[in-house]
Amino acid sequence: MTTVSDEKSFVLFPLGNKRFALHAETVSELAIPDRLQQFPHCSPLQAGVLVRRGKIMPVCDAAKALLGPEAKPGKFYLIANRRFGSRQEKTAISVSGECELASLAPVAPTGKLPKYITGLLTIGSEIIEIVDLEKLFSTEDAA
Amino acid sequence: MRQRQPKHQGAREAVILFTVGGFKFAIAANAVREVRGIEGLEPRAAAGAAPVRIPKVTYTLERNGAVYFVVDAARHFHLLPSKAARVLVLHNDPVAVLTDSTDRIMEISTLHELPLAFTGDERAWYRGLAIMNGDVVPVVNHHAFLGKSEQSVLKSALNIPATDNRRAVAV
Repeated sequence: MTTVSDEKSFVLFPLGNKRFALHAETVSELAIPDRLQQFPHCSPLQAGVLVRRGKIMPVCDAAKALLGPEAKPGKFYLIANRRFGSRQEKTAISVSGECELASLAPVAPTGKLPKYITGLLTIGSEIIEIVDLEKLFSTEDAA
Repeated sequence: MRQRQPKHQGAREAVILFTVGGFKFAIAANAVREVRGIEGLEPRAAAGAAPVRIPKVTYTLERNGAVYFVVDAARHFHLLPSKAARVLVLHNDPVAVLTDSTDRIMEISTLHELPLAFTGDERAWYRGLAIMNGDVVPVVNHHAFLGKSEQSVLKSALNIPATDNRRAVAV
């Protein structure tokens, strides 16, 4: 039986026709559509940068990793914190639409899912994969 | 472990804007000796350096008795071939950079650190990022266009002694 103490806060975000989840403590805000700026680079999953409040923020195209290389990036941005050793950096993740904050009880992933899917959430008939950003990026960097 | 460099603020720096493959870049003005057209470029094969496989060095340029190795910026930045029309001849190294066009000189007061999320070759390519009229422009690390070891290999192929400053390094 699920109890309140099993529940954790997640930010649910749409990508294409699916929704994914991030642990809420890694998310700082949802940003309105902004101008994506690009320059040449070789980093997988990086789509470019945004300028927000005079600061430059990298933009991650998570759709490519989560949905496949043909997936198109979204127009909204979820701002999440990434860790680099002892340091943190805000990164914008492009998402397809509005996000939702939800308290749900995660269950362990089943079947053959990528390592960056650390759990599953169930809402009615919908199953939502919980994404570990650090593992997602390390998987892509190694690829 | 890499140490985070604070963004450099306060001191103003003059940069030259140039474009390659539709992207805008900036280079420190004091790193550039001369901006010129593409006349006088000699294909590297004709200069006797064909066996050396450094594909981004497509031409050589002779100026005042010095030989410069011309780096195709589009190849350097892994871009599609573009229509090059301007050459930035650099100071201190026998290196010139083939670009599509050059724009004006601007001053920047803040050089933002390249975000840590960028982990590839761009960490060597760029000193940082500048915001110019709302546009983010990478400020290139001019030393990264052609490393010292690559210069030595190319000088050897042209039979220029590595220490021959008269012929291989702008003075």
